[in-house]
Amino acid sequence: MHAIIKGAIRTLLLLMPAVLTFSGAALSQTVTVQYRFFDGLAQMDGNWAALKAASDGKVYAGLAYHGGGGHLVFYDSKNDKMVDVGDLTRLCGEDGLNLGPQSKIHAKFGEGKDGRIYFSTHGGMWWEYARFATPEGYPGAHYMAYDPRTAHVQDFGIGPRYEGVNTGAYDPKFNRIYGLTHPRAHFVYYDVTTGAKVDKGRINNFESICRTLGIDDEGNVYGSFGAGRVFKYDPRTDDIRELSVQLPIRPKGISLGRDYNKSETAWRVVVWDQEARKFYGVDESASILFSFDPHAGPDGEVQRLGQLSIPDLADSRKVPYATLSLTLGPDRKLYYAAAGKEFDYSGSAGLAASHLITYDLRSGKTRDLGEMRVPDGRPVIGTNAADMGPDGTLYFVGAITVEAKAGEQNYGGKIGDIPFRLALFIYYPKAD
Amino acid sequence: MKNRALALMAVALLLGSAANGQRDPEDDNVSVLQTRIDARDLGYPPVDVIPDGESGITSLSVAPNGNLYGATSGKRSHLFVLIPRHGYVQPLGIIPGATAVTNAVVVSAAGYVYIGTAPEGHLLKYAPRDEFHQKIQIGSPLLVTDLGQAVPGESIFALTLDRQADTVYGLTSPNTHFFEYSITRGKFTDRGVVAKKIPQGEKFEKDKMMSRMLVADPKGNVFASGEDGAIFRFNHETEKLEELGIHAPGIPGREPWTRVDAFLLDPSGIIYGGTSDGYLFRLDPEKLAVTNLGKPLINYRIAGLVRGSNGKLYGAGGGKDDMARLFSYDPISGAYEVPGFVDVNRRPYYSWRAYVIGAMASDDYGTVYIGEDERISKLYLFYPWP
Repeated sequence: MHAIIKGAIRTLLLLMPAVLTFSGAALSQTVTVQYRFFDGLAQMDGNWAALKAASDGKVYAGLAYHGGGGHLVFYDSKNDKMVDVGDLTRLCGEDGLNLGPQSKIHAKFGEGKDGRIYFSTHGGMWWEYARFATPEGYPGAHYMAYDPRTAHVQDFGIGPRYEGVNTGAYDPKFNRIYGLTHPRAHFVYYDVTTGAKVDKGRINNFESICRTLGIDDEGNVYGSFGAGRVFKYDPRTDDIRELSVQLPIRPKGISLGRDYNKSETAWRVVVWDQEARKFYGVDESASILFSFDPHAGPDGEVQRLGQLSIPDLADSRKVPYATLSLTLGPDRKLYYAAAGKEFDYSGSAGLAASHLITYDLRSGKTRDLGEMRVPDGRPVIGTNAADMGPDGTLYFVGAITVEAKAGEQNYGGKIGDIPFRLALFIYYPKAD
Repeated sequence: MKNRALALMAVALLLGSAANGQRDPEDDNVSVLQTRIDARDLGYPPVDVIPDGESGITSLSVAPNGNLYGATSGKRSHLFVLIPRHGYVQPLGIIPGATAVTNAVVVSAAGYVYIGTAPEGHLLKYAPRDEFHQKIQIGSPLLVTDLGQAVPGESIFALTLDRQADTVYGLTSPNTHFFEYSITRGKFTDRGVVAKKIPQGEKFEKDKMMSRMLVADPKGNVFASGEDGAIFRFNHETEKLEELGIHAPGIPGREPWTRVDAFLLDPSGIIYGGTSDGYLFRLDPEKLAVTNLGKPLINYRIAGLVRGSNGKLYGAGGGKDDMARLFSYDPISGAYEVPGFVDVNRRPYYSWRAYVIGAMASDDYGTVYIGEDERISKLYLFYPWP
């Protein structure tokens, strides 16, 4: 116990300057979130979108590991236990082949009517595409399913050759795994029932592939492309149609001085609201909140509802690139974890505390609940996935700072000189 | 182990953003120099543009007056023109009965545009009519004269034209008929086939092998490749299709699946070609000799081959599942260079990278036109170094 206290004090002293630095105001409002590390997987270095709070209380996450195999894990919320299902390269049957590894699940999971968890894999390193379509390069994304009853992963094989599934969604109605590939931005799907693997062709350019596919209650699939445009895939016609609606995005040009890497012309994330039969989404450029009603007229209707960035940054050119951390609660509130600074794990612009922002769909009011902090006071330095459990518990995957230990790989990466580690964050809205 | 993990982490730090599907500044280092390339939408977006799914550029041809004609493949095929004086792509209409036009647009000395269609296999004639002053209306049919079906039951797979003889030559699919169409006589003649059997292969492989292009030499002889990569010549004098006993180069054992992807007639009279395995070769039409010039890229395919105004040849390699790269070949020094990916980065206005190239052409102004063949496709203008 003595050693633990000493360690905690040492950690606190070490992190104190950073804590103070990325607390914009020392006494700003905070919201406390619990956290769980992914045991034995400290070296995992990112997570994007891959988080699913399933109906049985298990919370699935895909952990990225650039240059190596990513991992499928789940948090057993009933037993407060983290389980590592395994290394994705091994689960795909490609370990020992010295191919580009299966480094990520980079897209949303889905839960099938059969209780299985469906997902696709993704590559990690692209080497400026110098190894694309070569024998040593990335072989291509696998479509997969995890069965929680048998703890068995079924591999449906490679879908898009040489490409990863950058963005994805599963539709239980048509029993299909959908995806957008990287780098060639093709719209692809796997029909679990028939086993058909289909490539519907290119939808966008590689640097502006939208990061969330939305699926409505009729099984239609939506994504954004071009300069704030929306496409619709109808599984009944097996056809893609480009809609006339326009997403609210900040005019191009402002963002380029801030970060070369971001195209900022698409929606970043959307969630489906079965009650209103609409999508709610956040755009990439300035975290603009919008609704998209796909059933309003032939092309749907888009409405700007507000902005979910940290209020002090809302009108600033420094408003961070939007995160993927949006979800809808049973309390009719949207929950969004807004970054304090551009957050992309090792590619982050700096350290800053994330804020938890809510938007009440009944009142139309936005509320900043404050900086997200774990019980020992460390701020959540960013998240890129969110989901709501069936019991109303809110989950995020993101990162917190840790103290580097000599001779041990106990962190996933660094932002500046500060090591971080991935964690699952847990928040109970009802308790707040 | 620890050092390896830290090294990987450092690399991830450097390249992490690229791994997440965003443009990294380093991407410019593996692409064509940005002051040497630009792109054009196929019309005036968002309305008067050839629709996505119909925009794959699979034919390009420069007319005697310098205008570039192109055709697309997809749910429907469109004809378009680029008049260099104006510099934009002008869609001209939907090509009747066509969902694909593959290296099958040629322009006669009189300026008429001949289009070979698939799947219907008709040869169409389009007469340009003051195009610059025509309004663009996507969805309108292209006004053409239907010259008939070249070979009953066959699609047109490739065309070339002998401007001196005013004769169109073509290959058909799936049965590899070589045909000619005399413009003056208005008559088709079937001259035989370049492949009799489907090559050995997996059970799903059903295609007879023939070249994806044709080329006519200065004497009016027309060259194609056929079964086992064999080079065929239609002898203008004897009016016979001849198997020459020479072959497109390739690795021994791969002959059954070898095609000539692209042909180019050099002003010197030499013919250059590129193969499905990605080899460049020289064909001397007088000596009937093939010289293997090696492989410019690790990719399969030579998806286009043109001559730049600097005397170098330019081509693009890479197949349907690949990422196309541009290469050059200097016939004098024998040196290859690889300018990189066909990529245009004009952010914040536009940016686009081509992964699949469907056709190439070059004009007397020194512009190399590169047609992308994907669901969403652009026309690229590459300006070689003088």
